Amino acid sequence: MAHGEPVAQDAACVVDVAHHSTRHIPVGMGPEGIAVDPGRRRAFVSCSRSNAVTAVDLDQGMKLWQAPVGREPIPLIFDEPTRRLFTTDARSDTVTVLDADTGRQLTQVGVGEYPAGLGYDPGLRRVFSGDTAAGTITAVDVDTMTAVGTVPAELGAGSMAIDTVRGRGYCANFMAASLTVFDPATLRPLGRIPAREGPCKVAINRVTGDLYVAYSLDGLVARISLETGAVTGEFPVQQAPVGLWASPDGRWVYVCNRGAGTISVLDARSGEESHRITVGNGPGDCVTEAAGRLLVSNAGSGTLTIVDRPWLPGAPPPEAHPAAGKPLPEFALPDMRTGRIRTTREWAERKYVINFFASW
Amino acid sequence: MWESVNARAEASNFAAIWSMDGTVLLDETGEYAARLGIRGVPTNVLVDSRGIVRGVGLTAPDELNAAVDALLADD
Repeated sequence: MAHGEPVAQDAACVVDVAHHSTRHIPVGMGPEGIAVDPGRRRAFVSCSRSNAVTAVDLDQGMKLWQAPVGREPIPLIFDEPTRRLFTTDARSDTVTVLDADTGRQLTQVGVGEYPAGLGYDPGLRRVFSGDTAAGTITAVDVDTMTAVGTVPAELGAGSMAIDTVRGRGYCANFMAASLTVFDPATLRPLGRIPAREGPCKVAINRVTGDLYVAYSLDGLVARISLETGAVTGEFPVQQAPVGLWASPDGRWVYVCNRGAGTISVLDARSGEESHRITVGNGPGDCVTEAAGRLLVSNAGSGTLTIVDRPWLPGAPPPEAHPAAGKPLPEFALPDMRTGRIRTTREWAERKYVINFFASW
Repeated sequence: MWESVNARAEASNFAAIWSMDGTVLLDETGEYAARLGIRGVPTNVLVDSRGIVRGVGLTAPDELNAAVDALLADD
């Protein structure tokens, strides 16, 4: 029996051994970061273009509330002891703190310029803001909701992962092709790891003791041993990997391919891609919830996708893009600078490249 | 595309930051991208002189360079 296919249809029972995207829940404009409250079976999604956080009931698959935060919230952390949510608001230069049960805003904490990343150490009772334009890391105490210090990083400081076992923090410096290593307790910088261009996201597999780095410009994920600091592999995924999550059992690493609308599922033992999951447009972040389902935020669709049994393969993807080999559909679109409508006729009999981008 | 709010202003700002001097068209609703089956960004679409789509995706620099070279070499 091949993966992703049921047994013969005239059998006494049908065994489904595939993953399934079971829900696509509208949550707001430009959803990015996701956090989970396992006790109350809720997910929280930061909606960057709505300037808000949306709470979702994971069992009913419906929105519970939406609360305003600062401008362009990207990552999101849930602190269970205080039952608070922390977002970094990239265009407000703030961390907004919400009551996770009601959405009531508790405070906003000033951090460095364009905070686009967030790390979390529950034992130290801190979150860490990656201040991308400032090139710094700001530590915020989650109990007092105050900034307690900064760590110098480099330009593009953003995504963060905290190794609570070894007491080290890792910050990806997107514009500096490096990772900053720091002590999350003393806020001392400990060193710098040279990286490829454009390290976009970092995540830790606590079971295997590995740090994963997603390189959105190169379409690959690197694995680094937390014990030795050695790069132990680089694994191709699809276009623009910007999100990473290691399953709690350490067995799988899920990669959000923003440029392809898919999740690459990496086998943590080999590092190789096991299979892909088709989700919404422009996926940016993913996490697993207590039952093992994968939650994916789709910035281009404005949805949260829920995937059952994501560790199982599904139907194989098509070999070629459906548009390849076919005539380009005609367009009539306004020029950004002049407002004049431009059509495909202007480029007839020419060879050209159309780049689709969103200004995130 | 997928900008949802203040698309022209956001795209203009982005183009200025990254020194994008070429033609920029606005697909504010994402409808044209949907017609092409574009599901993520960034995505490159290569079109030959007959108006046929020759490649979709191609975001890694080496991949894009090879595809453009092949397109230019094709008569």
